[in-house]
Amino acid sequence: MKEISRRDFLKISGAAVSLLGAWEHAPEQALAAVNTSVKAIPQAFDVSPEDDQILRMQSDLRRALQKPVEERRWVMVIDLRKCVGCHACTIACVAENKLPPGVVYRPVMVEELGTYPNVAVKFLPRPCMQCDEPPCVPVCPVNATYKDKNGVVVIDYDQCIGCRYCVTACPYGARTFDFGVLYTDETAEFDGIIFGKPSASAYERSASYEYGDARQRNDHTSSPIGNVRKCHFCLHRLEEGMLPACTTTCIGRATYFGDANDQNSLVADLIASPNVMRLKEELGTQPRVYYLT
Amino acid sequence: MNIKRFFYGLAGFALLIGLWGIYDRLVYGHVNTNYGSYVVWGLWVAMYLFFAGVAAGSFMISTLDLLFRIPIFKGTGRIALWTGLVSLAAGLTSIALDLGHIERIWKVFIEGNPSSVMFQMVWGYTIFGLLMLVCLYLAIRQPESRLLRILMGFGLGLSLFVSGAVGALLGVQAARPFWHVGLFPVQFPVFSLASGAAAMLPVLAFFGPKQDPNRRSQFWVLGILSAALVLVKLYFMWADYSVSIYGNVPQNVDAVQEVLFGTYWWAFWILQLLIGSFIPLAVLMQKRLVEKTMLIGWMGVCLLIGYAVARGLIIFPALSVPEIDSLANAFGGPHLSFDYFPSLVEWAVTIGTIGMATIGVLLGGDFLPLYEQRRVKGKA
Repeated sequence: MKEISRRDFLKISGAAVSLLGAWEHAPEQALAAVNTSVKAIPQAFDVSPEDDQILRMQSDLRRALQKPVEERRWVMVIDLRKCVGCHACTIACVAENKLPPGVVYRPVMVEELGTYPNVAVKFLPRPCMQCDEPPCVPVCPVNATYKDKNGVVVIDYDQCIGCRYCVTACPYGARTFDFGVLYTDETAEFDGIIFGKPSASAYERSASYEYGDARQRNDHTSSPIGNVRKCHFCLHRLEEGMLPACTTTCIGRATYFGDANDQNSLVADLIASPNVMRLKEELGTQPRVYYLT
Repeated sequence: MNIKRFFYGLAGFALLIGLWGIYDRLVYGHVNTNYGSYVVWGLWVAMYLFFAGVAAGSFMISTLDLLFRIPIFKGTGRIALWTGLVSLAAGLTSIALDLGHIERIWKVFIEGNPSSVMFQMVWGYTIFGLLMLVCLYLAIRQPESRLLRILMGFGLGLSLFVSGAVGALLGVQAARPFWHVGLFPVQFPVFSLASGAAAMLPVLAFFGPKQDPNRRSQFWVLGILSAALVLVKLYFMWADYSVSIYGNVPQNVDAVQEVLFGTYWWAFWILQLLIGSFIPLAVLMQKRLVEKTMLIGWMGVCLLIGYAVARGLIIFPALSVPEIDSLANAFGGPHLSFDYFPSLVEWAVTIGTIGMATIGVLLGGDFLPLYEQRRVKGKA
């Protein structure tokens, strides 16, 4: 491993301090500075069978990004035998997308089977299924939700009127409405004794970068408040060559992500296995999330 | 006590409560509402469906006078049209406050998706509202004009379409077996006609001119029509619920049980069935009781309560059943619950919209020539 010289250390520390300073005053500018520094999509790299599956998926992802967008078929595979129900994916998603209270993209459902002492617990993470025949899309009166070129079902926050018809149409309960609640809404504040609310509140109100747009939460009316929200496979990360937050965070390596149109990808291997199922297939929604059972 | 003054006072008070609700909604957004991401449509949507039903139904009733020229309904067309208009206004207020971004409603007209049933409904009700306005103008200014009859004929078809669209709005949703009923678009126009007939009872009984010689006949016909429609409605409900239970699709059975024995049992058994169906049925089918104007009026109010509750009991239970088992406990937070009871703000706005509709009917009666029988006078 390369050792860090004193000069490098001072450079990194200086950069970190100035970034923190910038954050305190203007988190948006600081994040924008960070964002511009990671624009170039890294190239795919060779992976050996011994390497962590994350590395292989990362390489698969980068290979897919070299293809025209219409030729990619993003899918997620969740191995239910590996899921330990730690909810790390849920929390990673909340953190990545700065989800407010009451908005959740990827809950993990816990089901207890049997009676004591013969009890088993089953975990079922449920992101948006990114259906190929999404029932939520045709019902939207203003075309605010649609399948984008990637085949991911997205929401145009500036188009959505907040009627919530799509929420009722989704058979997976994968959409939630942003009511404009803040975590710090009910937080106590007492000068000199209870502190932290102003900075926590400032962070909470600072922009989230879903779909690559900076959106602050400064009032009760600005989008995405008053909009329906849902998982989008972390499109903003994919564009930067990064896997979705839930995938990188999964401690059991139960979540896989990649391009199913690439026969060399890990997900293509996995969905070819016989123990694959999709939720509510009988509704003809053609989900892009596969479960290994 | 003068009944009109009583209703002016009551509706004014209701409007004040409603103004507080509207203030809270406009200042704090949706934070203080109890509908959520699971029971995603609440009281305001239910009341929108109710008011929209009354609007379409009132129009249907107005055709008895203005299109079909049935003698005993002479002079009731304009007030029926006006009732429909104010009801539509109340419904639109309710749904406007329910939307996350009402300021973008123009997008439905300019950038809409015609294949969405909601798009069709918005367009349909907009055209319907404008048509009612034109028809009312003509009914007041040129009651004998051919154009009025043409527009009333067109409007009758449109009223069937818009109320059917409400049924389709729910019926097309395969994700909700409780709603996914092919006959919903057929049932809802019947519900609308029932609501319109019921609305005319208090409007004519409480606010209509007492000297109308046809009043008793109108009450008898409207009463029998209401009673028949209550029976038809009960039959539809029986068919829906029994088929659902017999079919044994869990999500469907759970929703029916939610209505019959769950959170809303009291609303179903007491408000919808007892007060909203059986009592009016028992009274309206007795011809000797048509003399009792006030009683007839209150029976209409009972029917309307029943129909409003019925709208809620179509909306909430279907959404109270988790799409996937154990979704209810998967993630906690505000507005993430499958249990729903309207919040104070929701009740306040609803009370306000009812007050608004009542005041609208009263003001119309006092300041517009809605009850005058110009056609009769003209002939005389």
